[in-house]
Amino acid sequence: MRQGARGSALPSALAAVALTAALAAALADVARTELLLARARRTAAQALAAADACLARVVAGLPVGWDFGAALRGPDGVAGTADDGVLAAPAGCTATARPAAGAATPPTRLELTIDAQVASGRRRLRALVGRTREPGAPALLWLADAAALAPLGGGTIALDGRDPRDPAVRPWAAVAAPGDPAVLDAWLAAGTAVGPPIVAEPPPLAAIVARAAAAAGPGGLVGTGTPQPAITFVAGDLALAAPAAGAGVLVVDGALDVAAALDFSGVVVATRGLRVVAGARVTVAGAMWLGAPPGASPLLATGQVAVARDPGALATADALLALPRPAALLGLQDLG
Amino acid sequence: MSAAERGAGLVELLVAAVLAVVVLGMLTAAVAGGARLLTTAGRRGEAEDTAQLALEALLFDVRRAGYDPRGVGVEPLAAAQASRLVLRADLDGDGTVDATSEETITWVCNLAARRLSRLVGRQSLPLADDASTCALGYLDAAGTPLAIPPGGLAAAERARVRSVTLTLALSPQGLARPATRSIRVALRTAP
Repeated sequence: MRQGARGSALPSALAAVALTAALAAALADVARTELLLARARRTAAQALAAADACLARVVAGLPVGWDFGAALRGPDGVAGTADDGVLAAPAGCTATARPAAGAATPPTRLELTIDAQVASGRRRLRALVGRTREPGAPALLWLADAAALAPLGGGTIALDGRDPRDPAVRPWAAVAAPGDPAVLDAWLAAGTAVGPPIVAEPPPLAAIVARAAAAAGPGGLVGTGTPQPAITFVAGDLALAAPAAGAGVLVVDGALDVAAALDFSGVVVATRGLRVVAGARVTVAGAMWLGAPPGASPLLATGQVAVARDPGALATADALLALPRPAALLGLQDLG
Repeated sequence: MSAAERGAGLVELLVAAVLAVVVLGMLTAAVAGGARLLTTAGRRGEAEDTAQLALEALLFDVRRAGYDPRGVGVEPLAAAQASRLVLRADLDGDGTVDATSEETITWVCNLAARRLSRLVGRQSLPLADDASTCALGYLDAAGTPLAIPPGGLAAAERARVRSVTLTLALSPQGLARPATRSIRVALRTAP
């Protein structure tokens, strides 16, 4: 063949290669963009999840009570210092608090700012925190410490957390206590309980005792007849050797020893625990909040204990003596 | 004339032309196929991104609905229909909900226009076009969907809503399958 008359195969092939390469490059660019977007979304989602988790932990860690004055004083508990408003937060995030706009003094609503960082992602939340509507932990037995919870030892315990007004509502937990929920599970397995245990901050027993001591009036437990709702305060141990009944709030700043029958509608508080001997029984429509001496069990029952949820009895008790409430999330804003 | 200077004969030219047409046709088909693939990939990516962004915007809005720092009783859901949702929040903490700012956000699924819109105050912002499915739903505390009457949920029913769902499918022309997303967002207000 003559020089210069080789045809167009090479230019055609080169053109085809160039076109294909351009298409491949464009496709690669689209794929790369999508990959970057997906990565950015994943990082943002991780940071948001971390911020949500941090917020949940911080809110759960706020002390049960009536207001947030103590939380605002910071870890050192002293107002007017540099750590005011700084809250304990899990690793990877910070939490600060200030009174919500228009909140009372001491504040009953907080505005929290949560700042969470995960890898290259960062998320800030502003949350509004108040107190739950219903008082106390959402549990029938609220224990200050469950580490030394003793086995029932021949007694029986029946815990029914179902709402009698609406069985469809999620039942209250059988037991709430700080610490290992496995201990509570094992303890509950020996009794009859409707509703699982939950981990909760301990009840503020000292503050309840102080408030009950200041507010207690006439009335109390009765041997016969229908008891009137009242705040019954007992300084020291209370031993019941004869049947008794009561309503409202019973606060025993010591141990409650029952050797007969106790029927109570409302909230029973015993700072050094409840002991029910064989043949005796305690029936509570409402809730029981129990403390214990260090290393001792808050509940020793060789007799019968029955606690059933009763929102009406709890409301009556709360109207008599304002009861403490856990913190609850009331609102949220994503700050980006 | 020497053999080397004779040039191409008619048959050779015809064969070369046929071969060229075949090769060019194959090339054209390959390039066109690649271009179609590129276009489809671009459309798919855009549709998926649009759907995802719409859901993220709903997440953002529902999470802050009912924000009420002064405790004046801001209702998170002012209207709850299958195709329309009005969310309210007191974002600046002044005790009122402004109807003309971000404190009032309305979501509208307009399937007749194949569009999902987000209305901030009185300003309408189309979020997604080519919507073939767009449905809002409302669940109670137990996660049970609430039946939505034609006029939307009544106030008592709205108070029972604990989470909002959105199912969105975008079907732009040229996509064999729609870009489908769904989300369930829990309200962050106390029950």
